[in-house]
Amino acid sequence: MARNAEDKLVDGDGFSRWPAYLGYALLYLLLLGPVVGLVLYAGSTRWFFPDLLPVTWTFETFWRQLSNARTQQAIGTSLLLGGVVTLLALVIALPAARTLGLERFPGRSLVLLLLFLPTIVPPLATGMGLNIIFLRLGLAGSLAGVVLVHLIPVLPYTIFALIGVFVRYDEGYEQQARTLGAGPWRILWQVTLPLAGPGMAVAALFAFLVSWSQYVLTLLIGGGRVITLPMLLFAAVAGGNPATIAALALIFAGPPLLAIALAARALTERTTTVGQQY
Amino acid sequence: MTRIALEHLHKTYPRQAAPALERLSLEVEAHTLMALLGPSGSGKSTILKLIAGIEDPDQGDICFDGQSILRIPAHRRGAVLMFQKAYLFPFLSVADNIAFGLRAKGVNKATIQTEVQRMLDLVGLPEMAHRRPAQLSGGEQQRIALARALVVQPQVLMLDEPFSSLDPAVRQNLQEAVRRIQRELGITTILVTHDRSEALAMADQVALIEQGTLVAHAPPQQLYERPPHRQAARQMGIDTFLTGRVTGTTLQSQFGPLTVSETPGHGGEALYAIRPEHLRLGHEPGAHSLPVTVQSQIYRGDHVEVQVSLGETVLRVRTNEACWSNGKRVFLHLPPEHLFLLKLPGS
Repeated sequence: MARNAEDKLVDGDGFSRWPAYLGYALLYLLLLGPVVGLVLYAGSTRWFFPDLLPVTWTFETFWRQLSNARTQQAIGTSLLLGGVVTLLALVIALPAARTLGLERFPGRSLVLLLLFLPTIVPPLATGMGLNIIFLRLGLAGSLAGVVLVHLIPVLPYTIFALIGVFVRYDEGYEQQARTLGAGPWRILWQVTLPLAGPGMAVAALFAFLVSWSQYVLTLLIGGGRVITLPMLLFAAVAGGNPATIAALALIFAGPPLLAIALAARALTERTTTVGQQY
Repeated sequence: MTRIALEHLHKTYPRQAAPALERLSLEVEAHTLMALLGPSGSGKSTILKLIAGIEDPDQGDICFDGQSILRIPAHRRGAVLMFQKAYLFPFLSVADNIAFGLRAKGVNKATIQTEVQRMLDLVGLPEMAHRRPAQLSGGEQQRIALARALVVQPQVLMLDEPFSSLDPAVRQNLQEAVRRIQRELGITTILVTHDRSEALAMADQVALIEQGTLVAHAPPQQLYERPPHRQAARQMGIDTFLTGRVTGTTLQSQFGPLTVSETPGHGGEALYAIRPEHLRLGHEPGAHSLPVTVQSQIYRGDHVEVQVSLGETVLRVRTNEACWSNGKRVFLHLPPEHLFLLKLPGS
């Protein structure tokens, strides 16, 4: 409704709308262009110069990749890794972000700076150093080791996403719940988490995406024994078959796109019902 | 029901020099409504937080019916606090908000349903069960918050300025509702407010709090008509004080001789006060009058507040006419029967 009125206003003022449409078109081209390319490559078996589109259309390469046991195992490993890392990151980030968001204490800015460091320091540098330590601890080459090392780049994003929730958080809700007879666990599950819900969804999304796209750290600590989807993708890139690369890239992009779509839906639903309350 | 005793409560917040409460003792009789009246920052809300268990006192004790509650965690004290903000959980419906405390107690579903409806009826919003808090007005939100507090049958109900963000008509309406329900259920209640008329209208006992100490406490009418000392009199809106020696029925005040009907019974220094509505202005001198100059007047609808100067001192007078032009020299009448004695500081 409001949008229609706005459109009319603009038209009524005599502004032409075609620059805006051109802008949209460029934006879509920029965002979707590479994906279209991938789909074409993945779907083509024979595509020769100077044809604009492939000669024969089959998604044979794509399906072959998807039904490949090695790919399926890598998808499984990546999903498991992403899931565990996301869960652990939330458990660690929630109290940290709460303290950093609500309290003012000496050394707070130093802590924030230190938290930022992993996003600035190249993962190769931290990974090499940690490799030795993880070898000594017997964590190298294990899934647990990779989970731990993924937490290094994941935690900054998760904590910063959640700090945003807690700087405008009103502890009064928790105090109210307490005087009404709710114990600490009930307050956590029925007051804090629902209030922090939308922010938690964003933080979880970040955590999953950062873990999902890790390559260097997985390789260094996993030592070739923990095979994730990005590692197959890199191997395929080295192999140089465009159809295989495109098929794997599409498989790789699937879960993140799904996660973003779900998060976007959940977030808009929440804000329409309770948004004004915060 | 529950009688509350606060014993020598002392509390200093971290990084603050002055204590929020200084060895404050106070008793609230069972079934009654006690109003804590005082300026903001006087420590009134701290008292509620200590009783609720949100904060812990540095020293002192809090007893419900003679039993110390300090070792009982906040959620088991049965002391429910209602804030200025309703704090309805935005992600729950009105019914689920009211049911919150009952669910925490583990009450069964059928009982919850009937209790929630009973509370909705009690606060006068029987049709609101399925609304969301965001769909309610400010006054409705506070009513639901009240229902949510009452449904757990608290030993003590505490209200921390719950009406102050509401517009006057809604506020009065809610004040009456709270008072009616409090009497009906007989819940021992403490109301924190900085609004004198609210305290006087609602409370069985009014306690005046200033800088973390108890200044005075008495039933509203007694406190209003006969505040015990200057500090209490100021909080009751009095700013006309007269000091001097009394010989016979004549007070040799700082402004000149005045007749009094109440005498101290000793020849020493005495302190008198008079309420602004008992002062009268006139164009002619009288038996009990002082010459003053009109400074300004404020029209307040049901009365006119005139400020007059008496030497260096400025006094407020409540009158019914607005015909006092600034700078005019007139006479301030102080009826002897309305001049009352106050306790001198240190006596």
